[in-house]
Amino acid sequence: MKVLFKEIHELWLATQFTGFMSQTSSRQELYEFSNIMFKHLTWIENDFIKQDISYTYDINQVPIKVTHISVMINDLIRRIKSIESKLDSCKDEHITFRMKSDLTYITSVLEKFPEEEVESSFDSNREYPNVELTTTARDALTVFLFEEIYKEYELILVYNYSKANSTDAFLNRIFQILIDESFFHLRSFGQMMADMGILSVPRSLMEEIYKFDNLGQFLKDGIEEEKGAKEECKKLAQAVSDSSEHFASFFTFINNQENYHIALMEEALEYTNNK
Amino acid sequence: MNGEEHLIEHMMNPQNYGNLPDNNAMGMGKNPNNGEKVAIYLKVVENKEKFDGEPFIEDINFQAIGCSTTIVAGSIITSEAKGITFSRAEELVSITIGMLDNIPPEDAACSEMVALALKAAIDTYAERKKDADFPVISYHINTDCTPKEEN
Repeated sequence: MKVLFKEIHELWLATQFTGFMSQTSSRQELYEFSNIMFKHLTWIENDFIKQDISYTYDINQVPIKVTHISVMINDLIRRIKSIESKLDSCKDEHITFRMKSDLTYITSVLEKFPEEEVESSFDSNREYPNVELTTTARDALTVFLFEEIYKEYELILVYNYSKANSTDAFLNRIFQILIDESFFHLRSFGQMMADMGILSVPRSLMEEIYKFDNLGQFLKDGIEEEKGAKEECKKLAQAVSDSSEHFASFFTFINNQENYHIALMEEALEYTNNK
Repeated sequence: MNGEEHLIEHMMNPQNYGNLPDNNAMGMGKNPNNGEKVAIYLKVVENKEKFDGEPFIEDINFQAIGCSTTIVAGSIITSEAKGITFSRAEELVSITIGMLDNIPPEDAACSEMVALALKAAIDTYAERKKDADFPVISYHINTDCTPKEEN
């Protein structure tokens, strides 16, 4: 079941990042399918927890650098077949029936996806369509996107692990909001990376990042990190303000969203301290 | 590929990243001030037919909690270290740290942490030849890395 878990995790990322490459209506469908795959991941995770089996989020690197989307679509179908062949390793028949049904449907839709050239998602040109970026703004944006795509992926998994392993309804409500917010940010930054030709799947997480002993300390550190991210967004908004009003307002928007994340984490921290 | 493209390529596709389940040596480079760390895993082989039996790094991987510079440094240094003997790997560590002497400590911190993690893995292997239960060695840096402020 651990191999199954790892392969679903890799399929989720491969599907999500194929969505970033697409410039057609396939993008939205791939986003929806990746949501379903993430749900599958949480189902298997829940089964691990019920059976008291330890697990990790370790994965192999997910290669996505292709010239045509059909190469990725074929890869997704190959990954799905491999998962289907391992579904028996999960003994919960209700879960595996639902997964099998989802995967059969997804495969049938994937097989009909139109071809697209996606080379520009990986050409490293670091230019943003219809925006004149200065060298300073371009470099700042490049580093920011690499740092933040990893950070959002990390936050999704950290909060997901915390939620999966907690029965506290108050905290789980906050964790779920933070997961949803991180998904939104991951998608925003992933699309920007594809537009700039620097799309890549984030590296895997070290186990100690999500298996922490002290939730209070994690939240305190997280609040500081969010404050740091706010500053980065502010700087980026300033750096790109001459080049693009759209970019500047986007980063101001992200900066303000961080306030909400901080408020949620402070709420969780206060609750944890008073428990 | 120019230098800039080379760095972007390492950011997009870091080499040798992840756990190495069949490792027989591990080392850590840490920054105790901010929690950043690098773990290096080695699969070391001693073969009389190769390198006169001197231990050599057959495989190497790394994992990190750190910034993009750490990942790029890890990707480059582990690529250089794969397939070389311990004496050459020691040289690689010395040369890397020597080169870093010429740049401000806050810019060198991330690469230094990777080089020290490699040294720690080599030293852990050597210690475990004498005592199989010897703990994983960690070497620390004392300077925080500073994300480049753009001009």
